[in-house]
Parts: sequence; structure tokens; C-alpha cells
Amino acid sequence: MDGPHDLGGKDGFGAIDIDAPPFREDWERRQWALSKNVPSGPNTIDFWRHGIENMDHAAYLTQPYFIKWCLNEIAHRIDQGMFTMDEILTGIPESRTDPPASPLDMEGTLARLRANNVDFRTQMATPPAFSPGDRVRTLNTPVSGHTRLPSYARGHEGTVIAHHGGHLYADAGAQGEHRGEHLYTVEFTAAELWGSDDPDSNCLDLWEPYLVRA
Amino acid sequence: MSSYDGKKLGRLHRHLHSHLPSDPELRVKALESLAVEKGLVAQETIDTWIEMYSEKVGPMRGAQVVARSWTDPAFRERLLADAGQAIKEFGYEGHATEHLKAVENTSDTHNLVTCTLCSCYPFALLGMSPLWYRSQAYRARAVREPREVLKEFGVTLPATAQIRVWDSTAELRYLVVPQRPAGTEGWDEDALARLVTRNSMIGTDRDLRVT
Repeated sequence: MDGPHDLGGKDGFGAIDIDAPPFREDWERRQWALSKNVPSGPNTIDFWRHGIENMDHAAYLTQPYFIKWCLNEIAHRIDQGMFTMDEILTGIPESRTDPPASPLDMEGTLARLRANNVDFRTQMATPPAFSPGDRVRTLNTPVSGHTRLPSYARGHEGTVIAHHGGHLYADAGAQGEHRGEHLYTVEFTAAELWGSDDPDSNCLDLWEPYLVRA
Repeated sequence: MSSYDGKKLGRLHRHLHSHLPSDPELRVKALESLAVEKGLVAQETIDTWIEMYSEKVGPMRGAQVVARSWTDPAFRERLLADAGQAIKEFGYEGHATEHLKAVENTSDTHNLVTCTLCSCYPFALLGMSPLWYRSQAYRARAVREPREVLKEFGVTLPATAQIRVWDSTAELRYLVVPQRPAGTEGWDEDALARLVTRNSMIGTDRDLRVT
């Protein structure tokens, strides 16, 4: 979707605060831990990201990073029926899980971290349409739902530099559909994308439905 | 079960943003209290997770991997072939590392990693990302003016050197392997790992200092 999250190449953001540490406040650490430890229903990472993309646009640009996560975690759990809006606004639970969660020790959290190593590959019944070395062009069509083709790379020609086999397709995942598409890394010259004279390039990981032969 | 209705999520977001207290600490507290009260998570687990991410998971993991690639040619080959598999030799796999790709700097190429659409990062290998990596300024600018961005980080490249900017648009994640600094011949892996900075593994640092 054409939201404020699609930031690549946008002008006017000013200098980067290069000294900013990973966390400044305790609540940021707690939100990170909550995001990784409060169980969720069967939503996909793609629909999770699509939730943030749909938040109030002014809030997207001004709210602290982990507050966007916080609002998104709550919104998804209300969507899934795990929380009600009343529960979160009053702080009073209408139902409880039985038995309550038992605490994890350090070994348990390390195991949980390792177990979070998700494999996104899928078996593909169809052969790939492209091979490394092929020239391809990205589609130039706006998508109203979730997509991982950034607007700065739409309608441009590049070269396939890698084929990764089938990977769960983000656009379908955001609609609850677990379906693979061939995934490629495509390299675009800085001249093609930005009209630059520098010898630089941009590499993006793009699914086959985003691409046509150039 | 999720509705998979983006507009519904947008309505929930707006309602929450206008009805929850504006203090960020209270917002997070509202989520934590309800999750604990409902028995979904134990508060001690949250505390332990935070301790794990401050003491056991962080850039020192990536630095160890980079140092081994400098000292062990067979490991370097495995890392370049499939970094997601190679880091399992250390037990460093976890969030966002299964499809890890290692990209090496050379004297005339430089690699820079970003995520323009959100803030994808190989968390289990490098720890929480620095705030600048998640900032709108970095996400907007790294793909378009990487040389200006690198200058702000104190990195200047020769005009003939090529920068490859990797935008993490799918579930692949990237680890930049910086060049081994001169004058470190014979150093062991641990001593070498201490030279590897977090930013050098993202690409906003290049020439490692021998200390």
C-alpha cells in the first residue's frame, strides 16, 4: 500500500542521529520482550506488518518506534479476539488463561529465541521464470494491500543476481494465504533508479509476481 | 483468528491511539498488565528476556562469526554459501536469521544494509538494531544517497568504489563482512572479534581500527 512506511528515497528527513543506542528507555526494552513473548493467534508476519502500515499516518511518522509496535500488538490481539477493547482500556480482564503462563528461565528464553528461527521456504510445483543474469522489469502498478515492492523500485529494469527458490509470498500472507512464489534478488543500477553518476547499485529481494521480462 | 482486514486494523489503531493514555510508558504497561493478568505471559519471562538481550545476544555474536570467517577459510566458504546454516555452528540462530546472507566488502566494493519498508534486522545475531537503523531518515536516505549517509558516519569511499545497498524486502537478512584490518596477522579469533564493530556489520563503518 502507498503509505508513509514506504520511505525509500523520500527527501527531507535531515541528518541521521548516528549515536542513538538500541534502547533509550526501559519501556522500549519491555515492549520488545512483550512482542516476542506474548503468544498470538494465527496471524502472519505479513499481516502484522500490514497492521502498522494501516495505523494513523501522522502517528506513524511521529510516534516512537516501540509505541507503534505496542499499538500494533494490542490491535492484532483485539482483531484475533484475544483481548477486547474494554479490557485494554480498563485494564480489567474479562477472562483468563488457565493455567497461567509459567516463567521461563535464561535457558528457556535462549531456547525460545533459537526456536524462532522460521523457515520461509516452500516447495514450488512450477519452474522459475527467471535465472541469474536475466534482465527484468518491475511492475508499475500501485497495490492497495500489503506488498514488498517499494515504490522507488516500481517500473524499473534490473538484473536478476540470485534465485532463492520458493518463499512464502508476503502479499498473499497478509491475506492469510500461505502460498509460495519464486523469490529473486534483483540488482538495479543507481543510474536507473536515481539518475546518479555513481557506480552504485540497489539490491532488492523480489517475488516473481512483481517482475516481467525486460 | 486474524481477520486479515487491513482497514479493520487501521480502525483499531486509531481508536487505541486516541483512547489510551499518551504517555508511552503507560501504553506499554497497559499491554503488559493485561497480558500478565490474562495469564498469557509471566512477568519474570519479560525480565529474563531483557536480561538475555542485554547480556547474551548482541553484536558480539556477529563479531565472532566475522572473525572466524577471517581465520578459517572453510568456515568462510560455508558462511558465504549459506550464512543461516553457518551461524548454527555457534547456536546463534533465532529471530530473522534462517535466510541470512553474508556479503563481503573488498577494496573496491562496499555493502550497506537497510530496510526501507519496516526495519528488518538479523536480531538473534546482532541484537536489537540501533535506533538510527530504524529511523525514518536512514530508511529514506540509505538507498538514494548512500555516499552522503556514509559521510555522516565518518566513512568516505573512493569515487571508483562501488556501493551495493541491500534493501531487506523479503525474509532474507544481511550481514556485512568487513575487511580484516592490516597488521592483525597471527591474531586469534577472540582478539579479532573485538575489532569488529556493530556498524561495520551493517555497513555504516568500514575501516576497522586496530587497537
